[in-house]
Amino acid sequence: MRIESKDRFETLRAQARESNASRMQQVLVCCGTGCLAWGSKKVAEAFASEIAKRSVDATVDLFVKSTGCHGFCERGPLVALQPSGILYTKVKPNRVEEIVETTLIGGEVIQNLLYKEPVSGERIAQYDEIPFYKNQVRVAMRNIGRIDPTSILDAIAEGAYSGLARALFEMTPDEVLDEVEISGQRGRGGAGFATARKWRSCKAAPGDRRFVLCNGDEGDPGAFKDRSIMEGDPHSVIEGIIIGAYALGAHEGWIYVRDEYPLAVVNLGIAIAEARKYGLLGQNIMGSGFDFDIKISRGGGAFVCGESSALMRSLEGKTGEPRAKYVHSTEKGLFDLPTVLNNVETWAGIGAIIDRGGEWFASMGTERSKGTKAFSLVGKVKNTGLIELPMGTTLRHIIYDIGGGILNDRPFKAVQTGGPSGGCVPAELLDLPVDFEELTKAGSMMGSGGMIVMDDRTCMVDVSRFFLAFLEEESCGKCTPCREGLHQMVQIYDRLIAGDGVEGDIELIERLAAGMQLGSLCELGKSAPNPVLSTLRYFRSEYEAHIRDKACPAGICRELTAYEIIEEGCDGCHVCFKACPVDAIEGVVKELHIIHQDACISCGACFDVCPTNTIRTFPKIELKKAEVV
Amino acid sequence: MPTLKINGRRVTVDADATILDAVRAAGVEVPTLCHFDGLEPWGGCRLCVVDMSQAGWEDDWFKVVTACNHPVDEGMTVVTDSERIIETRRVVLDLLLARCPEAPLIQELARDYGIEETSYTPNPEPDDCILCGLCTRVCDHIGVSAISSADRGWGREIAPPFHKPPPDCIGCLACAEICPTDCIPYETSNIRRTIWGKEFEMLRDPKTGEAVITKEQAEHFAERSGVPITYFETSDTSKRRQMASTFQKLQVVK
Amino acid sequence: MAEIPRSDLSVAEEILGGYPAEEPALIQILQDVHRAYNYLPCDVLERVAEALDVPLAKVFSVSTFYKSFSLEPQGDTIVKVCTGTACHIRGAGLLVEELERQLGVGPGETTEDLSFTIKTVNCVGACAMAPVMIVADKYWGSAKPTRVKKYLAKGGDDEN
Repeated sequence: MRIESKDRFETLRAQARESNASRMQQVLVCCGTGCLAWGSKKVAEAFASEIAKRSVDATVDLFVKSTGCHGFCERGPLVALQPSGILYTKVKPNRVEEIVETTLIGGEVIQNLLYKEPVSGERIAQYDEIPFYKNQVRVAMRNIGRIDPTSILDAIAEGAYSGLARALFEMTPDEVLDEVEISGQRGRGGAGFATARKWRSCKAAPGDRRFVLCNGDEGDPGAFKDRSIMEGDPHSVIEGIIIGAYALGAHEGWIYVRDEYPLAVVNLGIAIAEARKYGLLGQNIMGSGFDFDIKISRGGGAFVCGESSALMRSLEGKTGEPRAKYVHSTEKGLFDLPTVLNNVETWAGIGAIIDRGGEWFASMGTERSKGTKAFSLVGKVKNTGLIELPMGTTLRHIIYDIGGGILNDRPFKAVQTGGPSGGCVPAELLDLPVDFEELTKAGSMMGSGGMIVMDDRTCMVDVSRFFLAFLEEESCGKCTPCREGLHQMVQIYDRLIAGDGVEGDIELIERLAAGMQLGSLCELGKSAPNPVLSTLRYFRSEYEAHIRDKACPAGICRELTAYEIIEEGCDGCHVCFKACPVDAIEGVVKELHIIHQDACISCGACFDVCPTNTIRTFPKIELKKAEVV
Repeated sequence: MPTLKINGRRVTVDADATILDAVRAAGVEVPTLCHFDGLEPWGGCRLCVVDMSQAGWEDDWFKVVTACNHPVDEGMTVVTDSERIIETRRVVLDLLLARCPEAPLIQELARDYGIEETSYTPNPEPDDCILCGLCTRVCDHIGVSAISSADRGWGREIAPPFHKPPPDCIGCLACAEICPTDCIPYETSNIRRTIWGKEFEMLRDPKTGEAVITKEQAEHFAERSGVPITYFETSDTSKRRQMASTFQKLQVVK
Repeated sequence: MAEIPRSDLSVAEEILGGYPAEEPALIQILQDVHRAYNYLPCDVLERVAEALDVPLAKVFSVSTFYKSFSLEPQGDTIVKVCTGTACHIRGAGLLVEELERQLGVGPGETTEDLSFTIKTVNCVGACAMAPVMIVADKYWGSAKPTRVKKYLAKGGDDEN
């Protein structure tokens, strides 16, 4: 079973391809975390048993594959059919028999399982024709949703390890480095440091022992591309790491995965075991004479461990406290030895770069940001999910053409990128081409590729407080500006959202932000003020409203917001009555309902469920004024 | 031996020196809280920040670094009192004053930077611990590691395991003595010593009856140094007396 | 504080046997211990410190630094509410409040009968179905406060 030569690898790949092609029809059931939550496991089982039943009469040759995340998580469970290319959305187990009967055997499309385009209402049958997929270019995510992540042969059939074979047998380690340099690839984990430069710096460091690490500690709230890659195509990550190790002359590697990603840990474990079995990891890889192996390390749950020096301390079994980086980890990293640490998406792209060439990768993207980038598109947008696009795609294209626009057609307010170290990009910058430089210029950053779309029902003071509170909890507490500064920032924001803000608070925030940026030890603290500064830059008036008018313009901050039912529109549907957690709504079916202000906790539950949009918010202070009158 | 410019003044220091060493050699003062000569620099308090520019960098491009752990380099320029450096230190001290409003050392340093009262919300449960980590680092350095930091972020604290008397503690008091704000309480008498809730019996000089160190500390040192444990039970007074009698004997011989 | 019950150390020994006796294995071992005992019992940590030759203070420090560890016994069912950004703006806070109403305890707390522990977690990476609530290992997407009672009743049952 061990692959002992390049020829053997190529034969195996040809066999795997042939075996895949010989299957007349394939049913691809998405089994990513999203679809699993919608019950896709039951769907896959139903297909398997239905097909087993049918294969007795041998009229159909069917094959069910549980794949990784197709990306369109909102519409799960997703079922794609090959070779017809049909995509069925929101498939329940009780529809399986019908699908097998009507579509797979009868060749007819079931209309009401197709994706319905939100704007035109048109049903679209073909996977590739759905705008969500049509506009994507997938490199790091090339095989996700196409392969069974637990089958190495399936991955090889789709091209996995072809780049590795090329590197090991046709290229010297330096040529691999050159190819990566030509690709212009920059790290996909946040700061965008050039991959080849990092590798060269590590290679130049003295010593025989060096390490390659994969950062799978995706902690940015709102980002999940690394999870989907590790779950859906672990072989792309493993292949990239082996190629990197070959280029650097490393023989030991680690993948550091968040423990909150159980499926990623399982699928990576299976993939590594299979790769060892086939001689793609371990001694004498593919008979090339190169030795390398990978271990998985599960993180203990600390956002700061996404920071390279903290991640390395964590791998050493210590608390994840960052160190000053006056000496680079490429020279003194894990166990004080030269170390290269790259993000999951970065590694996943390497195999494709070597296989198809650096020029190919560099032909996509913008001048300084080459290639494609994966994003998780979430928040108040119609089509949420995972996408990959060439660098330089505009926000408008992403949010409106791929995302289908804003949920409930409310106005777009801002998009948050870069996680807690990033910022909010406002509506006036919708035509911004998304790449490393442009996002930074706009006061945000690329970060881990999370894009959280916000509508007018999002308060920017509240959002900033959210990130600050997140970081206050996640700060390691080693250095003063980050530990104490975040705590004090949260105190100030608590004042603002409670209506206790005073003149001078904005200036106090700005001074503290500057001190944290300059004084903090690691990037977590240095970049912690970014969400604050970007919202102050674009939404300063919202801060002023909280301080001066004691009002929350978005109608979110509870201490400042009251709710009432508009008489003319209420049809007495009683939905709000049921949603109210504190019984503050009075009314009987088909009659006007009212909200009792003394009992209302301003949670907004009624507002969110009202089907006729007849609940409105207004500043709570008006209630007090009315009382005085 | 690299030569640097510190606030416009040239100094030459050893190649393995830190910026802090160079700054001191130049006779310039930079405040520190978590630094202690002899312990590995930590860079946690951030009070020793300075502006630094390396040879070959673009004109006027300076980076803020901590002096305590940054290595020196030939042609480096360091400015310890630029506006942004003073302002950064001011923010740090303002924050520490909010945390420890009653600690005299912090009050004094803050006053040096013009802060009489904190701009932030003072800690409702004042605590003098500034989390400089000197106590745990000195404990590690001695090879004991009886105490550590616990929790993280704003909840971070220094504590013995499970907040119970630490089994590994040898009662040497190094943590209490190194603490810049004197916030580690202990009691010591001729018979007993208590720190971190753990009680120690004192090793007493057989001749004078004076308490010297704790039994555990003597054992720890004896084990690590190979010196017999009896050496540690001799008090300073006893040692002086021994010395005096030796001298007397010497004179007799003469 | 309740007395920590003496735990069965044989499970811990089994876990320790699966790893090299060195510091880098510490976090992996603690994760396995946490899974087996549903928390990190004091005496197991003492045993781990001894086996790996790592000071107990360091083991304690690591046990309190990482969020996936608890030194207190956890409820039989762990209820997690994702409070990542996407879930936050889609109303995760309302889920937490409803849970508090239903169970009478807040985030990080365990009900007196040890049946439930509520945890808020920073993004489980299922943002596309925000807000997300996880009961045992069952993910509930687009979770609604009015359905919290149902989610709790169904527990980890895999039926939608």
